[in-house]
Amino acid sequence: MTVAAGIGYTLLALGPSLSLFIAVIAKKPFLILTLLSSTLVWLISLIVLSGLWRAFLPFKTGSLWPCTLIILTSVAFQEALRPLFWKIYKLEDILDAFADRVSKPRLFITDKMQIALAGGMGHGVAHAVFFCLSLLTPAFGPGTYYVEKCSQMSFFLVSAVIALAFVTIHTLSMVIAFNGYAEGNKVDQYFVPAVHLIAAMLTLVNLAQGGCIIGIPLLYIMALLTMGHCGKMVWRRLTEIRSRQGSSF
Amino acid sequence: MATVTSLLLFVLCASFGLSFSDSGQENSFESVPDLEKSMYMHVDGYPCVRVLNLSGEIGCSNPSREKVVAPIVRYKSADELLKSAAVLVSIDEFEILLSRLSKDLDFAGKVAGILVESRTEVSNGLKGFSPDGKFPQAEFAPYQSNNFTWNPPGSGIMWKAYNFPVFLLSRTSTLILQEVVMKNEKTKKSNTENVAEFNVVMQTTKSGTHDSDSCLKEETCLPLGGYSVWSALPPINISSSQKSKPVIVTMTSMDSASFFRDKSLGADSPISGLITLLAAVDALSYLDGLDELNKQLVFVVLTGESWGYLGTRRFVLEADQHSDSVRGLDFAMIETVMEIGSVGKGLSNGVKTFYSHTSGDTLATNETFQALLRAQDSLKTESIKISMASTSNPGVPPSSLMTFLRKKSQISGVVLEDFDTSFTNKFYHSHLDDLSNVNSSAIVTAASLVARTLYLLANDQNASAINAINVNASLVEELLGCLLNCKPGSSCELMKHYISPSATCPSHYVGVILGEPSSVPYPAYVSDVSRFVWNFLASKTSIFSRNITSACPNDCNGVGELCIREEADGKGICVISTTRYVPAYSTRLKYESGSWTVLPYNSSEEMSAADPVWTESNWDTISLRVYKVQNTAYDGLILLSGIVVTVLTYLLILITRAFIRKALKWD
Repeated sequence: MTVAAGIGYTLLALGPSLSLFIAVIAKKPFLILTLLSSTLVWLISLIVLSGLWRAFLPFKTGSLWPCTLIILTSVAFQEALRPLFWKIYKLEDILDAFADRVSKPRLFITDKMQIALAGGMGHGVAHAVFFCLSLLTPAFGPGTYYVEKCSQMSFFLVSAVIALAFVTIHTLSMVIAFNGYAEGNKVDQYFVPAVHLIAAMLTLVNLAQGGCIIGIPLLYIMALLTMGHCGKMVWRRLTEIRSRQGSSF
Repeated sequence: MATVTSLLLFVLCASFGLSFSDSGQENSFESVPDLEKSMYMHVDGYPCVRVLNLSGEIGCSNPSREKVVAPIVRYKSADELLKSAAVLVSIDEFEILLSRLSKDLDFAGKVAGILVESRTEVSNGLKGFSPDGKFPQAEFAPYQSNNFTWNPPGSGIMWKAYNFPVFLLSRTSTLILQEVVMKNEKTKKSNTENVAEFNVVMQTTKSGTHDSDSCLKEETCLPLGGYSVWSALPPINISSSQKSKPVIVTMTSMDSASFFRDKSLGADSPISGLITLLAAVDALSYLDGLDELNKQLVFVVLTGESWGYLGTRRFVLEADQHSDSVRGLDFAMIETVMEIGSVGKGLSNGVKTFYSHTSGDTLATNETFQALLRAQDSLKTESIKISMASTSNPGVPPSSLMTFLRKKSQISGVVLEDFDTSFTNKFYHSHLDDLSNVNSSAIVTAASLVARTLYLLANDQNASAINAINVNASLVEELLGCLLNCKPGSSCELMKHYISPSATCPSHYVGVILGEPSSVPYPAYVSDVSRFVWNFLASKTSIFSRNITSACPNDCNGVGELCIREEADGKGICVISTTRYVPAYSTRLKYESGSWTVLPYNSSEEMSAADPVWTESNWDTISLRVYKVQNTAYDGLILLSGIVVTVLTYLLILITRAFIRKALKWD
């Protein structure tokens, strides 16, 4: 497969994150810190989960019930961590207090969304690095690998494509979730875990023969759904603020 | 580590199911190196390597320092190759393919490498396969008829040079590669194909030394050679004042050759002869009164005979120089020489048939033939037929005796073979000359004949104790299993009794001479079979020197004392025996201060004109791998899509940001 293909797979999985980083996050050091800390938290959550699951090793990989169980428990654990993460980031109140003290403007809605975005991207990047990049080293060599159950695309291509979908979902979910916690909007609060769970379960479709042809498009539908919902929510908030500003005059 | 494992299981579950839970194949990985191992499949095979002589080279090698990578294609004689490919061919069509390569240069340019399937049980219709010539080593014959066909199936392919790698596949690899070729044919239009990667980079190719002289100077090759063994029954007392007895020499060889270096079994030619000699020595060793025999029996097992009779020529040279390795053997006292050639196929219609090819003084050879007939008569229970070879033969068949006679033409000699006018061995010097090609009862009979004949000759035809000479048939079976089969192979009980072998699967290729040749070589530089033969013969021809068997090598320095079985037990046994190693290498080579030099052509040494001075190239590793590749267009497409996705996202973000800013300022 060679270096060209290896770089291609890396860019497929992490290119958009790189673009987002350069365009938005690199400019504000606080966002970089948020990104790094959320990556770390996500990785720690994985380590805790694997520690819990260590007791049940070994079992046949790819068999339906153990995989379902793992996915259910992992998603549940990570979604439980999300409100905690938000509580920690209530330090935006601390930031606001600090801003008051130095007579600088308070956090604007877009700043808060950017923090959420950085947090989500941290999760997404950690997912991509862990579930895709770590497997890509053989892709830089001369050979390639095709799994019998998905003979249309190489194993590496499938990993990269799935990783890209999950990066999108994770990044945008955090924006939706933080907004949901801030507003107390139940729809947003339940939307995020639901999407995460459904997307994770959709990967089980790949276990079937030829399942990847169905599973991957469905996964992208979920990603587009998340993108759509996030866009709708952002637009709603912005128009609210604009109308509030307008009415204050 | 366990955490990593569970994390990885996580990965595999959550992103992609990898187990073939429906099909029987269990293909789960526990780590990325496992994935890599299953991507690149290592294939078991026997390579053909580069061998050089004074005028050029033979054998196979990668054409440069790079690995050769080519898609695997099955050979179909009508097909044209569209692009460079590794050709998978069956043994039946191998010779046809090679001859096509020499005629069709366009086709030859597209063959990147050849993979030869191993013979399956079904394809027994193969009439004969011999990569050696029709008259092997004709240039060493003591007679002129160089176009007599001793070896009818001979094609001579092993003496040509090939500029691409050739591998013989093992049984399991053959099945694997047949499947791979079928997969390749099914997915002809897709982006991937299965390729073979050959790594047969020879040092002489890398350094540009293409003949023995230059490669020995550059030290990129080593000369072919090994260690012959000779033994005397009973041990020769050098310091004795008695007049030395006339000597009867019985000889055979222990090396074979083939197109594929590591699969040179040589079951019929010459290992059946070796086993016969060892069994005969064993039978004779139980005889009482060996000291009272009128003649001295000497047994010689030579090596390097397939490569210019290195063993014989060096043996004779060392005798002429009265060197240490042949001390005690007086060539002037040699009365007759009996060589045991191929005897493993001497069974036709239930009758064990052997032929006596003779040369030299008719009186002496007649005596030997008479002794053979009397030995045949004494073996009443068996149906044996011994005949003189046909008079239409130009002389003795290709054998060590041929060379022996050129040096010492006054000696009479007999070669015992299982054929008359041409080899019965249809697989002479090929990888197919294996255990199934010989018959153990023929070998047992041959050994009985040889043992009894030697007794009669040594005892002046007095047959008093002849019926006490019986060959141990189970010893013959054991030797066949040890020398010609991978199970038990060299780790069989018999061999482990004498030596600690370095490899299990036997191969009788002579190999290269390591270090300085001497009559007391460093054991690690001597091949397993040579060491086994030395220890076996020493043990069988020995007499114990003292009542208590003391451990050696500490205390074993008396005259004629040897330490045997030193490797096997850790401590050896000290015995009196005349058993010596004689180095076997070209008489035109000299080892001087750590390196080899080719001596200038000496017209006085009769056969040095014909001596090619064979050397074998050095190499790093030899390997064969098979894996799937994507074509470069597809790789480029993936890189392009990755870049496009990145750039598009960047643009999307910029647009969104501009949009939001505009929306916020819109008041």
